[in-house]
Amino acid sequence: MQIEHDEVSGQKTTGHEWDGIKELDTPVPKWAKWAYIITSLVALGGWILYPAIPLGSDFTRGLFGTTSRANVLEAVKEAEVVREKDEADLIDGDLYDLVDDPTIRAKYESAARVLFTDNCAACHGRDLKGQTGFPNLVDDSWLFGDDLDEIEWTIRYGINANNDDTRYSEMPAFGRDEMLEQADIKNVAEYVLSLSGAEHDATLAKAGSEVFENECSACHGETGEGVGIGAPNLTDSFWIYGGTRKDILETLENGRAGHMPSWDKRLKDADIKKLVLYLNWSKDNGED
Amino acid sequence: MSFSHQKLERTAIGFTLMILLVASIGGIVEIAPLFTIDNTVEEVEGVRPYTPLEQAGRDIYIREGCYACHSQMIRTMRTDVERYGYFSLAAESKFDHPFQWGSKRTGPDLARIGGKYSDDWHVAHMNEPRKVVKGSVMPGYPFLAKTPLDTDGLPDKLTALARVGVPYSADQIKDAALDATRQADPDAEYETELQERYGENVQVRNFDGNPEMVSELDALVAYLQMLGTLVDTDELSKEEVLR
Repeated sequence: MQIEHDEVSGQKTTGHEWDGIKELDTPVPKWAKWAYIITSLVALGGWILYPAIPLGSDFTRGLFGTTSRANVLEAVKEAEVVREKDEADLIDGDLYDLVDDPTIRAKYESAARVLFTDNCAACHGRDLKGQTGFPNLVDDSWLFGDDLDEIEWTIRYGINANNDDTRYSEMPAFGRDEMLEQADIKNVAEYVLSLSGAEHDATLAKAGSEVFENECSACHGETGEGVGIGAPNLTDSFWIYGGTRKDILETLENGRAGHMPSWDKRLKDADIKKLVLYLNWSKDNGED
Repeated sequence: MSFSHQKLERTAIGFTLMILLVASIGGIVEIAPLFTIDNTVEEVEGVRPYTPLEQAGRDIYIREGCYACHSQMIRTMRTDVERYGYFSLAAESKFDHPFQWGSKRTGPDLARIGGKYSDDWHVAHMNEPRKVVKGSVMPGYPFLAKTPLDTDGLPDKLTALARVGVPYSADQIKDAALDATRQADPDAEYETELQERYGENVQVRNFDGNPEMVSELDALVAYLQMLGTLVDTDELSKEEVLR
């Protein structure tokens, strides 16, 4: 073991020797040493200022007392304040005035489209035209009427959803629950087909019209156009659950009870308003 | 190389002990916080053990590897909170074995998916995701609707969970199979009993829309529809959340 001084590098050796090979004991460069010391001090500062060390039943809170949860709640609130200021025209405005205001449409339509795509398109489709089981939103036929307030209510509280203000709507299972004879079901199905001008058996439909008047017209209306209490218009071309003979018989047999979730707690008031307006602005898209 | 370190290197037992000491610091840092778990988990209203049907759905969720693409953890970031809702609380996964947190998302986070879509949508979506969500890369799981749920194993599953600390009562374990079937059958008229047994927020419905049998899809939809719905985040006390 002999620590030597190396002439060429000016460094000392480690003192180890293997078959005549010696190793220089070059120290870590100064900058690296200082970087190490400084970052260690920063870490130490962090331990003191921020929550760090578990102490059995608690942990060191740090002098700043920060928590990521408080931070995010604060950040959400700050963003909300900015938004409320920016969207004051929407928040304070009346839906019926806003819907015809071109500046409002220009300002909010693209944001509303994103909202719709994120939250509604999964069921109602990106083109708003719905799909089997989920209503078309651009066909101008509204289960609960086309009043903006009604549409807002549906978005807010849903249909057959889990809250006290939700809309209730159910097509009874006329067949399964034996509310109608099978023959009557067949007849009324033909009548329903006739309402929208589909191919049907006229004799059976005539018999079915009586059944319709007694059993169905309370919800679907005398003419089958619906009365805005959730029962669909049967005279138009759009069918939530399909409009073939088979689909209609299935609906009569087992009933239907669609479910629209309640968005009251998921979406902000202003966002619900944007969606109501968006549905109205998109009406014209129905024709293409 | 300092003199004292050289000396230490030449003492076999002393050097071994020092290695152990240094290496154990890493272990302590990871393990010690677990002893404070009772202080980490918030005390909030509403969190309850999964019903047997939900637990069965959870097992299917894990079996099918849903966790590979979906996390169940809304992080404390504004972007997460604005998109998915109130950040996840530790209490909300206190009965999870294993928990479904994660930082990798191919699909969206599911921590608060419960109630966002209707049962019908989930059924259509599981059957053929691209039919309802254009451009989705999720695989279809059409077999779930056709596979009857195996309820025989449920008492054993609940027993195993009870052993690791989920407070299932003897009655809950005994009737697990029956409770699972009844939760998916509104005609069983068992809602009150089930809610008394598990909690107000138990949802009783025919989740997959097929009254003929209790399928794996019933269980999975029941599980998805309760995710994140147990705690009313409007009623949370600030002290409890920020403690």
